[in-house]
Amino acid sequence: MSVRLTAGAIQDLITDSEVTNPVLQCLKMRQVANTSGPTRYRLMMSDGRHSYSSFLLATQLNHLPENNLLEPNCVCKVKKTTTNTLQDGRRVLVVIDMEILQSGEEAGGKIGDPTPFAADGKSSPPQSLVSSTSFSSSPAVPGPSYRNNSGYGGGSAGKQIGKVSPQCGMETSPMKASPMKTSPFESSPMKTSPFKASPMKTSPFKASPMKTSPYKASPSKTSPYKASPMKTPPYKASPSKTSPYKASPMKDNSSPAGSSTKVIPIASLNPYQSKWTIRARVTNKSNIRNWSNSRGEGKLFSFEIVDESGEIKITAFNKEVDKFYSLVEQGKVYYITKGTLKVANKQYNSLNNDYEMTLHANTSIVPCDDGQDIPAVHCDFIPIAELENKDNNDIVDVIGVCKSAEDVSRITTKSSKEVSKRALHLIDTTGKVVTATLWGEEAEKFDGSGQPVVAIKGARLSDFGGRSLSASFSSTVMINPDIPQAFLLRGWFDKVGFKLNSQSLTETRSAGGNTRINWKSLSDIKDEQLGHREKADYFSCIATVVYTRKENCLYKACPSDNCNKKVIDQQNGFFRCEKCNREFPNFKYRLLLSANLADFGDNQWVTCFQETAEVLLGHSAETLGQLRDTDEAAFDEVFQRANFTAHIFKNRVKLETYNDETRVKVTVLEVQPIDHREYSRRLLSNIRQLAG
Amino acid sequence: MASIVDVPKPRVNCSMLSQHINRPVCFVGRVEKVHPSGSAFTLTDGDGKTANIELNEPLEEELSGVVELLGMVSNKGVIMATTYTILREDKGITFDLELYNEALKVIHDFPQYYPFEMAASG
Repeated sequence: MSVRLTAGAIQDLITDSEVTNPVLQCLKMRQVANTSGPTRYRLMMSDGRHSYSSFLLATQLNHLPENNLLEPNCVCKVKKTTTNTLQDGRRVLVVIDMEILQSGEEAGGKIGDPTPFAADGKSSPPQSLVSSTSFSSSPAVPGPSYRNNSGYGGGSAGKQIGKVSPQCGMETSPMKASPMKTSPFESSPMKTSPFKASPMKTSPFKASPMKTSPYKASPSKTSPYKASPMKTPPYKASPSKTSPYKASPMKDNSSPAGSSTKVIPIASLNPYQSKWTIRARVTNKSNIRNWSNSRGEGKLFSFEIVDESGEIKITAFNKEVDKFYSLVEQGKVYYITKGTLKVANKQYNSLNNDYEMTLHANTSIVPCDDGQDIPAVHCDFIPIAELENKDNNDIVDVIGVCKSAEDVSRITTKSSKEVSKRALHLIDTTGKVVTATLWGEEAEKFDGSGQPVVAIKGARLSDFGGRSLSASFSSTVMINPDIPQAFLLRGWFDKVGFKLNSQSLTETRSAGGNTRINWKSLSDIKDEQLGHREKADYFSCIATVVYTRKENCLYKACPSDNCNKKVIDQQNGFFRCEKCNREFPNFKYRLLLSANLADFGDNQWVTCFQETAEVLLGHSAETLGQLRDTDEAAFDEVFQRANFTAHIFKNRVKLETYNDETRVKVTVLEVQPIDHREYSRRLLSNIRQLAG
Repeated sequence: MASIVDVPKPRVNCSMLSQHINRPVCFVGRVEKVHPSGSAFTLTDGDGKTANIELNEPLEEELSGVVELLGMVSNKGVIMATTYTILREDKGITFDLELYNEALKVIHDFPQYYPFEMAASG
């Protein structure tokens, strides 16, 4: 069963011509060691006509060779590739998606007679570039091991034409004079010890964590198949992940020679590359902080910088503080070179970068005059509606219009410090509102008049009241910032936003202690068996009073504060309270009203205590007590008036047992007048919802 | 002859006028402009659209705010009003015209649940 290879595909791929899903044979594969991060596999692929050895397997496909699916001589359909061009013009093809069509065994051997493809178009292989041990020998030679050929990939050659022995052991071949032609990697390692672990410091190969590292494929230049771990592991599957994948990554790797004019993006900074220059604007500068602990004492200051690609935090200690503190100013742009990169300490660093920088004695910071294209601030704003999906304590950037702001208030913290705080309500185009809290001076200075656009960078998300934001010490609050999102928001708000009756993520007032009012109808009490569970159920409803029991609605209670127990009339002018164990010459009248409420669905007997009864009847207990004794007619009138009035009732319902009898008891906790507009809106929305 | 008040009058807004030509309707809207003669004026409904109103006799009082009127829709879509009521803004809760409009839509979308026509008989 022969599978046809797509002849000419290699040429097409390298010259960037269109070729869809070419079928290629993998002639050789080799593992390239990586100091940190996953192994990379380098492949030599053939289309029957040409072979090309600068193919790299994207790490997500590493399972193919690891599970022996991808093996020498197997035939594959290459579904997705991306090309990287090295500084000297050579191209490396990264295979991002590939399907194995035939195993090596099934294929039987090398298909066709491919000649190594030279980038310059020549298809005949100039014989062994550098050293004879390369597999640049004639076809007859029985499979020289796929030696690494230092010249490999030097744009030409050394492609092995001969039979490939399956062993891909690229041992260290005695590749000496490696044709480090143009590679910037002519750094010493090559010269001194050919295949040692070349500490390619200057190689642009960034360690894998650098998600944003531009893919650089040059390892081949230096020592292609070095078994020795290159500190800077060559192949990163960056193309798939990141944007800074630049077609000519080399460009960014400007300064191998220490050239200070070429600038690299902040996003590509990593600990494995030490010669770089960046140009960025200072967005945030902290004060000098002194510390002293068991190990000694010192001082530090930190600042954050931003450029078009991203941002990073920089810290300076001790001597560098003296050197740079006065030089670095917020808002200005500087060229910075020679800082130490290390993995960011997320506890103190909330920026969107895996690394942070420390200044040292050799660092140089030079002011730059031309900083126009550097953005003033780099924020990834999260729409307010999506804050609900974020985790508590996440650091986010938010922008919104300050719909309303509360007054500044002073509170005392647990550590007995007095601090000012102010809550703002921010709304954005998602229509959702969230409460953001400002502290200290910012809270005091804030002016919410005119509904300004407020952007907070590095705000902490909390689950207080559902979801709310807090501007922490490291957050930056910007009022009406000069960024496009702010203008967009302003325009939106003025046209549409101000009218929105929006939904707040932060429920500042909670009816019943929870976030939402539980609207039910009286028929739901039976239908849903409210109150039948262990805990009482709370709900609100709109209902009309249809009957109030005026007999026994009043009782004489103990006059002492907080004691509402019914007193016993001792008939001698004194009233005894059992709870207080005292006698009083007086009492206070209290209401305990039994009423029947009704709505479209059902009736329900409820009990109203003093407060709610007074609202319902419109008179205090005392007055009613007086009235009862003096004017019967007026007393009756009060109850008549209350009849057929409708209100919003907030109730508590529970199944209670009294002398072997269980009954559902409903108590009214709060009586509110009906807000017809709000009720209408709710009904309309229910109708629409039910209509589907 | 049955006067307009004895007959069921569906509540309409501007977009529904065309479906009620030559029929009595009830229209609620905000006064926009009053013709100098006092016999005609324009009202805007909850959607913001304008309806022209004509009266048999000229107005005797200042008309402003939200008004509810009963009348017949002419062939040209003008409401020939017979009576009107001013819903005063200084008393009670202000009339929410937009909300009223929403309710109107519901009534017309689900006439099976709002059988006003039959209600008037008997």
